[in-house]
Amino acid sequence: MATDPRELAAPTTPDPDLVAVLTELFADYRATRATPTAVVDLDRGLWQRLEELGLTRLTGSESAGGSGGGWVDAAALLGLAAAAAAPVPLAEHDVLGGWLLEAAGLPNDGGLRTVCRPDPSGVALNVTWARDASSVVALWEDRDQWRVADVPIDRVGVEERRNLAGEPSDTVEFDLDDLEAGIVVDHAIGEQFHLRGALARSAQVVGAMERVVDVVLAHVREREQFGRPIGRFQAVQHLVSDIACETALARAATDAALARAAASDWTDPGMLFAVGVAKSCVGHAASVVVRGSHQVLGAIGTTLEHELHTLTRPILARRSEYGSLQDWDETLTALASSAGHDRLWTLITTGRAKTQRP
Amino acid sequence: MSARLVPPGARELPALTELRLEVRAFLAQQVAAGAFVPHVDTWLTRWNRDFTRELGRRGWLGMVVPTEYGGQGRTYLERFVVTEELLVVGAPVAAHWIAERQIGPSLLRYGTEEQKQAFLPGISRGEVVFGIGMSEPDSGSDLASVRTRAERVDGGWRLTGTKVWTSGAHEADAFFALARSAPLDPAHRHEGMSQFIVDLRAPGVTIRPIISMGGDHHFNEVHLDGVLIPGDRVLGEIGEGWSQVTSELAHERSGPERVLSTFQLLAAAAQAMDDGRLPTDPGLGRHVARVAALHHMSFAVSTALENHEDADTAAAVVKVLGTTGEGDIADYVDTLTATGWALDEELDTLLHAAILQRPGFTLRGGTNEILRGVIARGLGMR
Repeated sequence: MATDPRELAAPTTPDPDLVAVLTELFADYRATRATPTAVVDLDRGLWQRLEELGLTRLTGSESAGGSGGGWVDAAALLGLAAAAAAPVPLAEHDVLGGWLLEAAGLPNDGGLRTVCRPDPSGVALNVTWARDASSVVALWEDRDQWRVADVPIDRVGVEERRNLAGEPSDTVEFDLDDLEAGIVVDHAIGEQFHLRGALARSAQVVGAMERVVDVVLAHVREREQFGRPIGRFQAVQHLVSDIACETALARAATDAALARAAASDWTDPGMLFAVGVAKSCVGHAASVVVRGSHQVLGAIGTTLEHELHTLTRPILARRSEYGSLQDWDETLTALASSAGHDRLWTLITTGRAKTQRP
Repeated sequence: MSARLVPPGARELPALTELRLEVRAFLAQQVAAGAFVPHVDTWLTRWNRDFTRELGRRGWLGMVVPTEYGGQGRTYLERFVVTEELLVVGAPVAAHWIAERQIGPSLLRYGTEEQKQAFLPGISRGEVVFGIGMSEPDSGSDLASVRTRAERVDGGWRLTGTKVWTSGAHEADAFFALARSAPLDPAHRHEGMSQFIVDLRAPGVTIRPIISMGGDHHFNEVHLDGVLIPGDRVLGEIGEGWSQVTSELAHERSGPERVLSTFQLLAAAAQAMDDGRLPTDPGLGRHVARVAALHHMSFAVSTALENHEDADTAAAVVKVLGTTGEGDIADYVDTLTATGWALDEELDTLLHAAILQRPGFTLRGGTNEILRGVIARGLGMR
């Protein structure tokens, strides 16, 4: 009979020392950055600082020049960077691009990478930060094989575009020869990429939503109407409570997927369901959080100079990356209906429809 | 990172999963044997004393009660997984629900040695059934306004007043009643209240049914007409009733019953989509995702409570999201069905019950409006 709670549940939290360093770093960044702009460009100074601290290669293996960090720590970095609206390609460069290079056994010189999945004709849409990269890591499905190619930026065509957040989100055109010369990788790599991308985006959106909650709380304490802070009004309290609750639910879903990923190094067959739950809860939370926070902040929150849009625009831009909300809800619907009445709960608790003894 | 409303997530370890699967296998066999018919909202609406006693025999009641009082001496986390498994399968758990969730823990914390010996072994065997008497005709969300009077008399106290919404009082052996043992002081409204253990078969107790809108009898009005309460049936301290009833709220609000009341309907809808009896719709995935996230959140709160951390605000978050979601499932499935389309007796039965029970989900145990206020306080707005 087990009675020691430590044998029953294992909390999954990021390294507190890392969190302390990141918190200070981004507080400093927030205090010294320029006022918000409508278009957002890469902050090379911040990128260099992150590089010096080993944070741009946090999840790279130490033998490949990385810091050997896990996904729980990486998600903390992504979340806190997103909370500071830091314009740096941490997800693209490290947890996605760096991982693909390592999986393919390709060298990584540390130069800034972005990542994409070109279509059969060699074109990739909405490639974030492509114009700023020294090379583009491409994951390419070539007939029934997956290939990874690290293509220098001067060998691709870049058509500059921007996403809803005002960030570089370019169209990249590859020479098919460069993609065909890519290294063949295991099918699991090709399949995991989409899940890793979706979970990285979820971690970023949750981080940004947590900052929105702080911005909202500061506002309702300071802003006075009818002779008192607006946070004293019950209608406002309920609106803020709903924002905070949805953010907490998105956090719980994302943390659960991160814990599963970290415990199994992404090999758990329940990852598709776990990431889907995170992406769905995060995406639906985004609707409530963006709508509600702009309502609470009033007209000032709609201005260029205010911090709010530096958070709400990326929240909406990122929730639609690596699968739309509708795509993920449909994936979960397919998993749930094929699990059926008798296995739905097994699906929810394990991510798979079949019971597996521990 | 901003101050978190909810404790960090925790991963369930194999020892807990073993227990989960053991309970699940037993319940599947019970359903197959026809011991009960799965239903929605069974922790309010399905009484089955035989089933409750069987759970007691298997050691799945009184789980957090120490062995010297006839319990199992296990953890809140172990109780959590047993509770989840019972609820998802729609088992008839109402007979022991209140005793297991509230009465046992309160007796452990505030009861005398004699009271613990008198009640906990029977609760743990599933033989002693309790209700709870808090609300009154003029006292709902504002619990400090209770008017039931407790007057000191020779040998104990006399209780006079009316309690309402007491689920299962017509089946229960006893209940905890919250009463004013000192007149209301408007400047200190939470003072002067006390809790009493009331034998529901004692002279002066009258129990009348309150019939729910679907015609079912779950709730009661309990009249106390000068009921004599022996001095040794005061729970805890006279005058400390308010702090006693509010101290266990995190356990009451964060449990899986705030998420899973309509799980059988969700599971039936998933099956109906697979069979083509309902149209395939992404809303199913959305609701499944929320249930899954709430399962993790509720587990995180239980882990914090196990470690004696404060989780009052987090529990309110679980309850607001969970009870809203379990009601939304009922409404969602309703929007997918069309009369004249297909006959589906099982789905219809679950759906109709869920729709009729739904208004109660966001009322019982603190309305969601009160809880949003609790959350706002946790956020520093009040």
